[in-house]
Amino acid sequence: MRKLPSLQDFKDRNVAEGSSYYNIDGEAYPETGWAQFKQVVTRTFRLELFVGLWVVLREMFKFNIHTVQYPAEKLPIGPRYRAVHEMQRLWESGTERCIGCGLCEKICISDCIRMDTKIDENSRKAVTEYTINLGRCIFCGYCAEVCPELAIVHGGRYENVSEQRAHYIGFEDMLTPLDMAISGKVAEYPGFGAVTPHEDERVKVTPLAY
Amino acid sequence: MVNFTINGQSVSCEKGETILNVARKNAIYIPTMCYLQKTTPCASCRLCSVEAEGVEGFVLSCQAPAIEGLCVITESDSLHKERVNIMKMYDVNHPLECGVCDKSGACDLQNKTLEFNVGTQEFSAKDQHRKIEHWGRINYDPALCILCEKCTHVCNEVIGDDAIDLYFGGYGSKVIPKNSETLDCTFCGECISVCPVGALVSSDFQYTANAWELSKIPAACAHCSAACALEYEVKHESIDAIGQEKIYRVTNDFEVNTLCGAGRFAYDFENRIYGKDKEAFLGAIEAIKKGAIRFSSLITNEEAMILQRMKEKLGIKLFNQEALNFSKFMKAYGSTSGQSLYSATLEHIRSSDAIVIIGSRIATDNPAVRYAMTTAARHKGARITYMHPIEDALMQNTAKQYVKYEVGAEEGVMALLAKTLLEGKTLDSEISAFFAELDLGYLEAESNVGDEEMMQLKKNLTRTKKRTLILGADLIAHAKAENIARLAGLIEKHTEFKVMIVAPSTNTLGVSLICDLDEESEGYAVGYNARGEFVLSSFGEGDLDMPSLNQQEGTFTTIDKRVVPTNVALPYNGYVLNDLANALGIRAEYTIDYTSQLPYSVGFECNAFDTLNARYGNAIKDSRGYELKSIEVTCDGVLSSVDELPEFNGTVLYACNPVLQFTPNTQKAHQLEEEACLRGSEQFAIAAKLSDGDRVEFDFGTLRQKRIFKIDTALKGTIALNPAYDLGLAAMVSSYRYQSVKISKVGS
Ligand code: SF4
Ligand code: SF4
Ligand code: SF4
Ligand code: SF4
Ligand code: SF4
Ligand code: FES
Repeated sequence: MRKLPSLQDFKDRNVAEGSSYYNIDGEAYPETGWAQFKQVVTRTFRLELFVGLWVVLREMFKFNIHTVQYPAEKLPIGPRYRAVHEMQRLWESGTERCIGCGLCEKICISDCIRMDTKIDENSRKAVTEYTINLGRCIFCGYCAEVCPELAIVHGGRYENVSEQRAHYIGFEDMLTPLDMAISGKVAEYPGFGAVTPHEDERVKVTPLAY
Repeated sequence: MVNFTINGQSVSCEKGETILNVARKNAIYIPTMCYLQKTTPCASCRLCSVEAEGVEGFVLSCQAPAIEGLCVITESDSLHKERVNIMKMYDVNHPLECGVCDKSGACDLQNKTLEFNVGTQEFSAKDQHRKIEHWGRINYDPALCILCEKCTHVCNEVIGDDAIDLYFGGYGSKVIPKNSETLDCTFCGECISVCPVGALVSSDFQYTANAWELSKIPAACAHCSAACALEYEVKHESIDAIGQEKIYRVTNDFEVNTLCGAGRFAYDFENRIYGKDKEAFLGAIEAIKKGAIRFSSLITNEEAMILQRMKEKLGIKLFNQEALNFSKFMKAYGSTSGQSLYSATLEHIRSSDAIVIIGSRIATDNPAVRYAMTTAARHKGARITYMHPIEDALMQNTAKQYVKYEVGAEEGVMALLAKTLLEGKTLDSEISAFFAELDLGYLEAESNVGDEEMMQLKKNLTRTKKRTLILGADLIAHAKAENIARLAGLIEKHTEFKVMIVAPSTNTLGVSLICDLDEESEGYAVGYNARGEFVLSSFGEGDLDMPSLNQQEGTFTTIDKRVVPTNVALPYNGYVLNDLANALGIRAEYTIDYTSQLPYSVGFECNAFDTLNARYGNAIKDSRGYELKSIEVTCDGVLSSVDELPEFNGTVLYACNPVLQFTPNTQKAHQLEEEACLRGSEQFAIAAKLSDGDRVEFDFGTLRQKRIFKIDTALKGTIALNPAYDLGLAAMVSSYRYQSVKISKVGS
């Protein structure tokens, strides 16, 4: 197996035998004014531009198209991509994960999250309203990263055109539909702010007297 | 002076001061968890341990007084280990609910856990279910309680309700209401304030906002003359109310200052208006030009100054009977004491060992004075003599002696008191003659204050060094108020007593000093938070709206004779008094431009508003704003002889608000909602032939009032309490507080 370069190797900018860097073969830059003039003239009259145009034209008539037919067709997005937020529910029980701690509201660097909370009938904290102004959001992911409950996460919906600059999204819009949560159709969230796969090994066990 | 060293730094202090206090004064940090400056040490956390040379083991710095030559070490490996262990114990099974806890971000347990880097729990204890208690305005979660005892200490030693206690049961220990199923107290909320964790929380505030989202606006309480320092905590109201601000709660610098429940829970009295009413504004200008303004003392010094300027410029009359009475009282007092102001302060009361209070139901008139007396009783063993016609259950475990006098007999009682206290002093011949001429037999018989009671009072004073005499609002509105004041002035001048005069309303003292008031007369008058033909009101029921006291900046003159600033907590977009003044040709850009123009001749300073400090900071005493200067005046007061004491027969009512209620402002507060009732004892009910829940009607002063009668089992005697806070614009304590009335029953 190929030995992966170590971090040290990457930091080593000395171009030498065995290092990760090497020089590429390239034409030498013109040194004198005359040489530069010559380069401009040859490049202009060699019609290099039409070489590229010809390739496009040829491929067009061959109908062998590789581009994605957006918006009819969309590419899958990487799990760690940070697009419009989603609010998760707990599996099986379907309970909303958000506890209304307000950390996302606090950490948001563009100050676009706002929430109202109250005490509910069971003496628990309840979120009554929650909005994100997507017109301001810079999709930095801080909210998802700080959330202690893995409640707010970034989903894959990257389209958010709107007629107005201020463009709000509410709690209900982001919330996973209840039936999906209960029927187990939601996968464990792999994206930004999720726990790392080997988290269990790192957790210290607290003694419990039961 | 005691000289010693802390971490090699030499420090000095008064004898008896604790090591912790000295360290704090010298900016040396010692961690604490259960310490409260204003109570005796709870000594439950042991976090404040320090090492002292030559002393075996650790010393609790919050408790141990400094000793000459001691070498104190506040940081060492063993101390650190000890403190880490303490924090580990605190954290065992502490619920991991910081995410929702109200205290998060301002929690001592959170802070110290991080400070000592306790990241894991190594011990375990079997947890048990602990029920959350709902005690009205307070919720208690025993699972969060760390049993620091601050709440019980403050309730007992500062408030005086002594309403909560610690139930000791090992791991099941918790805070419980004392001798009662549920909490039955005056709901000052101070226990909420001192709780280092989220165990005691305000039920109204709980889970509505995080500490870090709230901006703190330093201000002065607007409800009584103590004008306690507080912070309005403000945030946007909700997602649905765009641009609307709201006060979520009130907090205080609880280490040194104390709030009552009115200050803490009655904060939402702002006058919410939408836009300016130009027509009403022009109407107000015309109305003012007609020649008189009647106003209440619920205004700032600056507004009083504007009114005074209006008087000077337009020649209008200013009516404020309550402040006029007070001003006359102070003048008469000065005419025998030689000083324009009384000399006692709340701090003086706190450190007194003998206190006489007369003419006030103080626990509801001015809770700050009550708390100062409680502190004196608990910390200095002060012997308190409480003189009043109605016994007050709230003062029962604070006052040592209760002297009951007949309603109306205040002048006689004051004469007897002055005679007792001035005995053996060298006095002017005229004054001696006054006392010699007193008809003691008559006075004692009519006032019902006997010789033994005065002897007992005198006995209470033996071997006491710091004494305070507190005079209440009953005396100020008395028909013979000036003679009473002259007698009090003599006591101030000739004895060790320092006198405090409790002003009846928030800024009565300021108004009485700033405004040149006129005798009340009928005819056209503009009312400013008072009745009138054209009403300017911050209560929201007048012809032109005015900003409330939490929507204004300005200053109040407090009971401590301090000029303290208050700030704008909520925006106001209507007209203010200064706009009216400008339209009338009295020019100033902002109301606070008048702060530096307050009259120097009566003791104000020329300080600009922005130079005034609004917070306590690290000072142990109130250092807000500045102190008024007392002016020396000539002693030319002549006592008039005490002839006949008025008699009050039949059904007598006393103008007195229930706990936490003061003005239409407190009435507005959503947390204090309750119906204003006429409250009397069972004895009163029998005498007046009333039963609980009866609807009654009677004339009180000039006002016909309809009320529901309630029997209050905590009351004794035959005088009923008639509230005034709900009377809106008519609510002003300007006449004698007791009145004989004819009550007619109109239903039940
Ligand atoms: S992604 Fe960043 S900017 Fe957007 S809501 Fe979250 S914290 Fe705020
Ligand atoms: S950080 Fe997470 S749990 Fe906390 S309020 Fe935001 S979404 Fe809810
Ligand atoms: S609210 Fe005040 S009186 Fe009531 S228990 Fe708490 S400290 Fe005591
Ligand atoms: S309720 Fe709060 S103040 Fe009272 S003992 Fe518990 S932690 Fe301390
Ligand atoms: S009502 Fe009086 S005692 Fe109570 S907080 Fe306000 S100023 Fe202080
Ligand atoms: S602060 Fe001294 S024992 Fe808690």
